[in-house]
Amino acid sequence: MASSLYERRLKHFLISLTSLIVLTIFAFTLSLSVGSSMLDPVKIFQATFLKPLGYTVEGSVEIIASLRLSRALAALFCGASLALAGLLMQTITRNPLADPYIFGLSSTALAAVALGILLVPNLVVHKIWLIAISFFGAMSGYALTLTLSKLSGGSSIAMVLAGIAVASLFGGISHVLLYLVQQITRTPYVHLLLGSASTVLWGDLQFLVFPTIFLLALILALFKPLNVYLYGDEYAKQLGFNPTSTRNVASLMAALLTAITIAFIGIVGFIGLVAPHIARFLIGSDHRFSAPITALVGALVTLIADVLVKLISMLARGIGELPLGVVTSIIGAPFLAYLLVKRMKG
Amino acid sequence: MKIVVEKLEVWYDSTPALRSASFEISEGEMVFVIGPNGSGKSTLLKTIASIVRPKAGAVYLDGKVLSRLSPRDLGKLIAYIDPHLSRSIPTTVLDFLLTARYPHQSALSFSTPRQDLDIVEDVSKWLNISHLLDRRLDQLSSGELQRVLLARAFVQRPKVLLLDEPSAFLDLKYRLEVLDYVKKSVKASKIACLAAVHDLYLASLYADKVIVLNNGEIIAAGRGEDVLREDLIERVYRVKVSLLSINGRRVAIPLEPIKEAHYGGLT
Repeated sequence: MASSLYERRLKHFLISLTSLIVLTIFAFTLSLSVGSSMLDPVKIFQATFLKPLGYTVEGSVEIIASLRLSRALAALFCGASLALAGLLMQTITRNPLADPYIFGLSSTALAAVALGILLVPNLVVHKIWLIAISFFGAMSGYALTLTLSKLSGGSSIAMVLAGIAVASLFGGISHVLLYLVQQITRTPYVHLLLGSASTVLWGDLQFLVFPTIFLLALILALFKPLNVYLYGDEYAKQLGFNPTSTRNVASLMAALLTAITIAFIGIVGFIGLVAPHIARFLIGSDHRFSAPITALVGALVTLIADVLVKLISMLARGIGELPLGVVTSIIGAPFLAYLLVKRMKG
Repeated sequence: MKIVVEKLEVWYDSTPALRSASFEISEGEMVFVIGPNGSGKSTLLKTIASIVRPKAGAVYLDGKVLSRLSPRDLGKLIAYIDPHLSRSIPTTVLDFLLTARYPHQSALSFSTPRQDLDIVEDVSKWLNISHLLDRRLDQLSSGELQRVLLARAFVQRPKVLLLDEPSAFLDLKYRLEVLDYVKKSVKASKIACLAAVHDLYLASLYADKVIVLNNGEIIAAGRGEDVLREDLIERVYRVKVSLLSINGRRVAIPLEPIKEAHYGGLT
């Protein structure tokens, strides 16, 4: 019974993994082909994925695809890293409603980034410093939310309310700061506030791609302490794990993952909340399985949202692009509502 | 494994929870702690489980001081059944039971060994929870959860078993079945078992030794027949009891609370 169940779980995992990878490749190809000049997705697929096999396509397709590559990769990895941040936060707070956006990390990170750019405009070209500032902001936001929720009793609802308070305060502050910042960056400030993958530079991508992959590997390596942590501090302790250090390490990782996405594409809400739930629904809560699936779901949803952003901007010519965060909110908010209703009832 | 507890003293902030507690549990012995609410039963278990630090005194496992053992070794040796389990993130019973094998696996191992699944299967068959393995932990009834918690302890294959209210939420048949299984495993695997219970009849049925705690102090310890005396139970629990002799064992039946003079306002 136990072993057959476990084998079934493994099978589910492999099926989910392959189908998600296929879907992500599909969305990725779509993302490269959608834009002001529409390209044939088949040719794009050949140009990007089958190149080592000797496929060649006409030069213009390859050039346009490579121009769009950094944006697609940014959406892909930001989605993955936001989703993983959400997974870690739900685990360490043992609260299924946790998410970097709801807990205020995103807003404080963004406020820190905006303040940094405002004080030292040069920072815009030094992504690594921007990430560091964003990390500092995310950590302070997390500390603030936790302190506030502890003062108000520490229940999961108190945590969410504390997060909302922090998020709205620093959301407002970052509005003001970014309003001033747009003079420096010359990009509409709503894009920084609500996310956009369109401004990511190829050379900066290394600071997004490698940390995300590294942190995913780290979550997988820490799957035992994380799994045990779910059942409570005392449970973890008596199996020989240290819940406090698990919490500290995982919080740092979550803040870093959030900070990276904020520094790259701004605030994109709800991915961190939705992706872990979908992953858990598919293959359960064992972090060994849920972490890769969560990352893939986050990547997929963000890529699709980014494709939608591009499509909408093409339909409404000349107005410019919608922020990415708006699209993910429209997808994610109904899901949050569903979770709340289900939780309150059950 | 043999446990020796020596002059254990535990304080929560400035209130004493356990005062100078000393006793021994030998291999394969099942010792029951009884006492009213707040008498220090859980504190005693948690201190042996290394969750609570004693202010003075020491616990020895086979002659080794408990506080010198690494957390990993503790995880291999001691299973403490904590009824307070966080279940807010949904997980399955199988996930939960498999975590109990972690202390035995090497720190960097990634796959689940076949042998661990066999242990889970074996234990769940005995405790009649095989059909629950793919259920969500947060959707179990209290009785089902209690059996899953016990199963977790046995999946861990410990040498010291600490049970806090193992019979809570179980119906009469399961109470006896589960404790039969506990007793058999304790004897077979030479486990030292300490259980805190409220049901005195379970103590008289299963205990090799009974320890009576009151206000953090051990006021009696010994074989059930010697300890479960009318006057002692009445003094500790403040209830009138009647002792029946059934199959050569003395079973305490609570009759009515003793009316306290200084609470007399109500009566």
